[in-house]
Amino acid sequence: MKDQTRRIPASRQREKPGQKTKWIGTDMKRVEDPRLLTGQGRYADDVSVPGMLHAATLSSPHAHARIISIDVSKARALPGVVAVMTGEAVARLTGPLPCFSNPPVEQRCVAIDRVRHVGEPVAIIAAESRYIAEDAARLIEVEYEPLPAMNDPRKAMHAIGEGVLHPARGDTNVAMHRNFSFGDVAGDFARATRVVKRSLRWARSGAQPLETCGAVSEYDSATGKFTIHVNSSMYNYVGWLLAVTLGVPVHKLNIIPTIAGGSFGSKLFIHKVPVISAVLARETGRPVKYLEDRSDNILACDHHGSDRFYDCELALDHNDKMISMRCKVIDDYGAYFQFDIGHHGNALSQITGPYQIGSVEADITAVMTNKCQQGAYRGFGSEVSNYVMERMVDAACSEFGLDPVEFRRKNFIKPEQFPYFIPTGNLYDSGNYPAVLDKALQMLDYDGWRNKQKEARKEGRYIGIGLATCQERSVFSATEFWMLNHEAGFALTSSPEGVKVKIDPTGNAVITLQAPFWGNSPETMATMILAEHLTMDPANISVTYADTDSGIAGTGPGGSRFTVMVAGAIVSASQVIRKKLFLLAAHLLDADPSEMELFDGKVRVKGRQGAEKSIADLAMMAHFFRLSFPDTPEFDTGLDASCTYDHPLTTMPSEDRKDLGIFYPIMGHMCHMPVVEIDVETGKVKFLDYVAVHDCGTIVNPMTLAGHVRGGTAQGIGSAIYEEYKYADDGQLLNANFADYILPSVNEVPPNVRVGHVVTPSPFTEYGIKGGGEGGRMGAPPAIASAIEDALKPFGVKADFLPLTPAKLRGLIRQATANQ
Amino acid sequence: MKPWPFEYHRANSIEDAIATLGRHGEGARLLAGGQSLIPMMNLGLATPDLVVDVGNLSDLAYVLVEDGVLRIGALATHNTIMEADASASACPMLVVAYHSVAHHTIRNRGTLGGNICHADPASEMPLVLTLLDASMVIRGARGERVVAAGNFFIDAFETEVEPAEMLTEIRIPAQAAGEGYAFEEMSQRKGDFAIVSAGCRLSIRKGQMTNVRFGLTGAGAQTRRMSVVEAKLEGAGPDDRLLAEAAELAVVNSDPSDDIHADAAYRLDLVRTMSRRVLAAAVRMTAKQGAL
Repeated sequence: MKDQTRRIPASRQREKPGQKTKWIGTDMKRVEDPRLLTGQGRYADDVSVPGMLHAATLSSPHAHARIISIDVSKARALPGVVAVMTGEAVARLTGPLPCFSNPPVEQRCVAIDRVRHVGEPVAIIAAESRYIAEDAARLIEVEYEPLPAMNDPRKAMHAIGEGVLHPARGDTNVAMHRNFSFGDVAGDFARATRVVKRSLRWARSGAQPLETCGAVSEYDSATGKFTIHVNSSMYNYVGWLLAVTLGVPVHKLNIIPTIAGGSFGSKLFIHKVPVISAVLARETGRPVKYLEDRSDNILACDHHGSDRFYDCELALDHNDKMISMRCKVIDDYGAYFQFDIGHHGNALSQITGPYQIGSVEADITAVMTNKCQQGAYRGFGSEVSNYVMERMVDAACSEFGLDPVEFRRKNFIKPEQFPYFIPTGNLYDSGNYPAVLDKALQMLDYDGWRNKQKEARKEGRYIGIGLATCQERSVFSATEFWMLNHEAGFALTSSPEGVKVKIDPTGNAVITLQAPFWGNSPETMATMILAEHLTMDPANISVTYADTDSGIAGTGPGGSRFTVMVAGAIVSASQVIRKKLFLLAAHLLDADPSEMELFDGKVRVKGRQGAEKSIADLAMMAHFFRLSFPDTPEFDTGLDASCTYDHPLTTMPSEDRKDLGIFYPIMGHMCHMPVVEIDVETGKVKFLDYVAVHDCGTIVNPMTLAGHVRGGTAQGIGSAIYEEYKYADDGQLLNANFADYILPSVNEVPPNVRVGHVVTPSPFTEYGIKGGGEGGRMGAPPAIASAIEDALKPFGVKADFLPLTPAKLRGLIRQATANQ
Repeated sequence: MKPWPFEYHRANSIEDAIATLGRHGEGARLLAGGQSLIPMMNLGLATPDLVVDVGNLSDLAYVLVEDGVLRIGALATHNTIMEADASASACPMLVVAYHSVAHHTIRNRGTLGGNICHADPASEMPLVLTLLDASMVIRGARGERVVAAGNFFIDAFETEVEPAEMLTEIRIPAQAAGEGYAFEEMSQRKGDFAIVSAGCRLSIRKGQMTNVRFGLTGAGAQTRRMSVVEAKLEGAGPDDRLLAEAAELAVVNSDPSDDIHADAAYRLDLVRTMSRRVLAAAVRMTAKQGAL
C-alpha cells in the first residue's frame, strides 16, 4: 500500500515499556489533594494584593448591534468607582486579542463600534468593590442600533450586508470553507456495494468549570512592567501574545499561574480576562482583579464547544468492509475564530476511527454567528467525529442487518498493522482494538445483558445496550490550530514541554512545571516519574509552577498530552542529574562513573559492598563543597537540570494539505458499553450498567486515570442527554444559568462506571505512555446514542442528534408511535 | 452577579417584621431561607430596596401535631419538616412529596413558608398543600387571618399575603387513616423543579372512591387542583379504564405552554402518564391498607 511508504521518523523512546517499576503503575494518592480538600488551594480569586480594585463589565444585551453612543458619566460619578473604560478607551492602550486564524478575525477585549454576541463586554469598570463596579455598570447608558442576529449557521452562511458580522473580512459570514479529500473517495464510492447516509447534529455545549476565568493584574509604571496572576494554561507557550496585545515588550510582562478550579479545555488560553484586568491596572495605577461571574463565563468565556451539522455517507464493499466515508459539515463557530478550524484538524487525526477505511473526504464550512466563539472543550472537536463515525457504523448495521460487534471487529485495524497511516496522513502508533472490545464485552457480560433485554421487553420494559469503539488521539502538536488555514500564518511547531528539576542541599527535589495545575494530577504524575527515575521517596519531592519570567518552554496540558510530555522532559532532566550524581559519587568512592548505579535513594558502586553515598550526601557536596572535587567544569556547583522535550513524533504536512503529516499520533482507544433503560412514556433514560475499557498505553496512575475516564464519561452523559446552549432566534441565550443549563448531577451519572484497561504501549513515548485525559467524553456520547437507539429499536427511533433530552426522546417515540 | 443596592433589617420579632414592612411599603421583601430570593437578587430579577430578614425568628421553626392538625411554623426548614415524626404520622404525603423537592443542601436552608410565599408555579409544595387542604395563617398589623390553600395561591408568584403581612403558620389537617395518596413528577434531574408533577389523595368506601383530591403542576400557567377530574372519580369504582379516562380528562383540561425544557406536546404526554400513575398508585395504596 502506498501509504505505508510514508516516512516514519525513528523512535526517540529512551525508557522502554514493560520494565519493572516501583511507582509508575501504582495507585499513588494525589499529592495535590490535601491542600485542595482542606480548602487551602490558592485560586485566582484568592489572590489579593494591597490596594487592589475590582472590575466588572457591562455586557451587551444585544446579539448583534452597532454601538451608537455610550454615556459613562453617571457611572464615573458613583462613589468608589475609579475608572470606567469604553472599547475606544481600551483600544488606545491595547491591540486585538490573540487569534490563530489567518487572516485573523479581529476581536477586542471590549467591543468597539459593534457587538457580536450577547454578553460581549461593552465597557469595563474598576471600583473599590465588585458590588460598586456592578452598580456602576448599570448606570452606563448605551444606545444601540440592532442589526440582524445570526442564530442558524445554515442561514448565516448565506447572509450579506447588515447580517455580516465582520464586513472587513468580506461580505460573508463564512469564515472558512475548505474541502479535504484523502485517497480515492470518488472511486471508492463508485465501487461501493452499499452506501448509508445520515444527517447528524451535535449541539453546542460548554465545559462549565466550577471556577470561572480570573486574573489579578498589576502595572509598575516605574518599570513599565505588568504582572498578571491568571488561571490560564499555555502561558509559557503563547502567553507572550498578551504582551503584544498590551503593547509592551514581552519581557515587560510576567504571568504568574494560579491553580485552576476546573478547565476541561476551557482555560486553554485565556486572553480577554487578563487583558481587561491589565488595562484597568494601567489606567488606574492600582492592582485590579477581574473574575468572570457565572453569566460572564457562560455567555462570553470564548470557549464554547463544537456546534455542527453533518451530512454523511459511508460506503461498504461486498464483504461489508467500510471503504470510504465522506461528509459535509457546517460548524457554527460563533462571533470570533480564535483557533481557526483547529477542531476539525483534531478530528482529521482520527476521522476514520479504529477502522481500515481507505479514503475520506471532509467538506468543512465554518460559519460566524452571533454567539460566543468556540474554544476548547474536552475532545476539541474530535469527540464530535467519534460520534459521527460510530453513528454511521450503527446506521450501517441497522440498515443492512449487520451485527454491531462483529461488523466493528471485521473492520478494525489489526494489531499487526501498526504503526498505521490513516488516509489523512496521520499515524496511529499502536493499538489492539479487538483486545479492548473483548475485554469490554466480557466485563459487561454482553450476552447476559442481551438475554435480560429480551426478558424485559416481554414485560414492556425497554433496555438498550450501547457500543462505541472510538479513538482517543493524544499528545497534540499545536500545529492543528493553524495547519488547515488556506495560508498558514505561521510555520509548524513541536509543541515542547519543559521541566526544571532541582535537588536541594539535603537531597530533596523540586520539580518546576511550565504549565498550571488544571484540575488534573500533574504534581502526582511528575512526582511518580521522578521518584521512579532517581529512586527517591515521593514524600521528598515537591512540585511548583514557573511564571513566565523564570519559565522555559511549556505548551501545557491539552489534547491529552501533559503526562507524555512531562515524562519525556523528566527523563531528560533526571538523566542529567543522575550523571552528575554518578560523577560526584565516583570521585568520592574512588570508582569510575560507569560503575555506578542508583538504588533506593543511594548511589553505589556495582558489586562493591558498602561503597555507597546517599543522594542527600552527594547533594550537600554538590551545593557547598566544590573544592573537594577536581578543578574541571563538570564538577561545578549545583545539582539541577532544565530540559525541554519536543513532540516525540511529528512530520510536516504537504503544501497542498493532501497529506497532513503525522500530527496526533499517540493513539489511544476505548470501548464504552452503557446499558440504559428508557421510560418510553416520559423519555427518561436510566443507566443500569456502564463499562468503559480504555487503552492509554502504559499507565502511570490507574486511580487518577480512572478518575479522568469517569469524569469525562459524566461530561459525555451531559453532552448526550442534557446539555445544550439554547440561543433564541434573536440571539439571546435562554439558559445562561445553572438552573436552566442542565448539567448531569451525581443522581444522573451511573454510580459505578466500571473502568477497565488494556495496555498497548506506545513505541514512541517514554515508558510507552499515551494520554488519557479526554477519553470519557470522547466515547460516552456515541455509546449512549447507540444504547438509546438499541432500546427503542421496536419504535425505529434514530439517535441522530444530541442531546437526547427526555422531551426530545419522548417526541421521537410519540412520532414513531403515530406512524406505526 | 451581585444584587442591586438594598437596605437590610434583621427582624427580632414577628411584630417588628410586620411593622418594618408596614413602614417601608412595597419595595420591601421578607428573607427567610433565601433559596429563591437571594439567587433572584443576584441575577437582578428581584431588586428590593429593603430586605427584612426573619431568619432569626426561631420561634417559628416548629413542626407539631395538635388536635389532629399538623402545624408548621413558617420558618421551619424543608428538612426539619421532612424528618419530623409529626409529619410522618399526620401527613405522610407531605414526606413522600418532599423526596422530589430540591437537594439536601437547599432543603437544609429553605423554608416551606418562604417556598409557598414565593409561589413558583413549578414548585411542588403549593400543589401538595392544596391537595392536603392546608390553610395558611397570615399576620398583619390588624391581626391574624386564616386562608385556605385554594385561595392562598392567586397566580404565578402571587399569593394572598399583602406587602405588609407575613405568613406565620401552615396548618394541615391530618390525613385520614386508610387514605391512599401518591405524588410523582418528571424532572430532568432529581431535585429540579418538575416539568409536570401530579398528586392525588383518595379514600375508598364500599368500593367507591371518595374525598378525591387531584392536581397537577406544569399543566398550565398555574398549579391547580382539577375538580373536573375529581368529580369524575368521586363515587365511582376504581377500575383501570376509569382511571385512564380520568387521566385523559386531565389532558383535555390542561393548557401547558412551550419552554426551553419541554414543549406543550411533551407536557400533555406527561400529564397523561403522571395522572394515570398517581391515580393508580393511590388506589393501590388503599387496597394495601385493606380499605377495599
